[in-house]
Amino acid sequence: MQHLIFFLLVFMNIGFTSAQLKFSLAHDSLLYIPIRINQEDSVSLLRFYISNIHIEQGRKIIWEAHKKHYLIDFTQNRLATNIVSGTGLENIKKGRLKFTLGVDHKTASQGIGEGPLDPIQGMYWTWQSGYINFKLEGVSSKCPSRKNRFQLHLGGFQKPFRSAQIIELQITGTRANVVFNIHKFLAEINLREAHSIMSPGEKAVSLMEHAKRCFYVQ
Amino acid sequence: MYNKSLLSILIGLFLVAFALKKRTPEPTSYIPTPFYRLPVFPTKNDTVALGRLLFYDNILSANNQVSCASCHNSYNAFAHTDHQLSHGIFDSVGTRNAPGLFNLAWQKEFMWDGATHHIEAQALAPLHDPKEMGSNIKALLSKLRASDFYRKAFYDTYKDTIINSNRTLKALAAFELSLVSFESKYDAVKTDNAEFSTQEKAGYKLFKQNCNKCHTEPLFTNGKYMDNNLPIDSSLDDKGRFLVTKQKEDRYKFKVPSLRNLSYTYPYMHDGRFTTLNQVLQHYSSNQNIKNKGKADLEKAIHLSFNERADLISFLLTLNDKNFVFNPAYSFPKKLKDYLIQE
Repeated sequence: MQHLIFFLLVFMNIGFTSAQLKFSLAHDSLLYIPIRINQEDSVSLLRFYISNIHIEQGRKIIWEAHKKHYLIDFTQNRLATNIVSGTGLENIKKGRLKFTLGVDHKTASQGIGEGPLDPIQGMYWTWQSGYINFKLEGVSSKCPSRKNRFQLHLGGFQKPFRSAQIIELQITGTRANVVFNIHKFLAEINLREAHSIMSPGEKAVSLMEHAKRCFYVQ
Repeated sequence: MYNKSLLSILIGLFLVAFALKKRTPEPTSYIPTPFYRLPVFPTKNDTVALGRLLFYDNILSANNQVSCASCHNSYNAFAHTDHQLSHGIFDSVGTRNAPGLFNLAWQKEFMWDGATHHIEAQALAPLHDPKEMGSNIKALLSKLRASDFYRKAFYDTYKDTIINSNRTLKALAAFELSLVSFESKYDAVKTDNAEFSTQEKAGYKLFKQNCNKCHTEPLFTNGKYMDNNLPIDSSLDDKGRFLVTKQKEDRYKFKVPSLRNLSYTYPYMHDGRFTTLNQVLQHYSSNQNIKNKGKADLEKAIHLSFNERADLISFLLTLNDKNFVFNPAYSFPKKLKDYLIQE
């Protein structure tokens, strides 16, 4: 298996009384941490925020998730399914699924949040306030760092380094799978240079833009 | 008999209202609107009271030996004296001098470099710093949840025993926001309740000519980050605001501190390099170390005669707020003291 795939499943089966969006991981080796991606790279931690999830038709918002923010965690909480709930999905035939990868800057500029935004989740910088939008850690033989480790903690909500990304994906039919392709993510970044990013800056923004391009509808 | 009882109640209510008012002096018209809402005190057991307990309790640190008050002493306007650089857990020495804590509701960002953008997030920084408290919010919550004292304190505040990071950090923020200091002689003059002496008046004039641009009254800070031409301390090479923004023009800039309560908040500057006000004025009278001539925040030296310095210092001393520093509502809480004695 060359791809680590995250599905965003849009269940529209009539049998469901409460339709749900599900973030789940379709990868057998998920049971074993670190997750082996290829000969060179493995992932020990992957968590990111998804915010403001909704579906639009034209300019109209026709569906919104119940909660504003979700913390998607495929490694520490690897067996759990990350459920994004909202009502009325069963009536939607097509539309544009939109969400923010990360925590939007308006929320980040406020005080301490609760639930997924609680600092105990380990996704809040304490030396410099603000949320880590996307956290990826692992080992790659390409990294010249100690024990070949890479730590990509991507965040930043203040100009000029706002890193959260708005993602738009067209969905049609009764079911849409939204995939995050981690193979593409790791293959197209320079881990020799960008192996330790732990503060807001140009590199974090650039990697978040790259992460945005790794989501697609299957 | 009935009238007498009613009168006693009314007097009682008046005294309570007066006491509460004393606790956090109301800013008056010459004070700008704060960024944060000031805490109100409707009950005895409010978030401010809970925040005060947490602020003074060593439970915040990994080894239960360091509290917020370790570096922010109420008798020093919540600054850290005696040490250039503040020290924390296991006698670890940091890289900066802990600033005084007052009028925080008027601050947009916190820390010398503005690394914390919101007061509720501020406590996370020292809590997690390995040289300050060496702990983390998860560990702190576990300790608080295991404590009968805090289960009761949270119940008294919130009417249930849920202890979470939101409540903990909000309580600490509430206590910090309650630290309001506008009862100096300067404030009394501003409200026509006192007059400056001749020397203070002369110092005030000099202040407005030379210092007010950065230490802007009535908060005595413009809230900006500036480079005041301090020689770079190579042992620290603290680049200040640059560490947060990564913008070249922010190198060696630090937040302009308020000059209020300055008798209590020595030593001065972000690294505590000056012990006396005279040393500070000596620095400003020198035009050495201007790093970006033509673009520097402070292009010219401030030349003052010996008498002018004395006048200026005389004015600066009117910014001390003794009522704030010795306000019992801000000092070590008796409730915590009693609990620690029993334990």
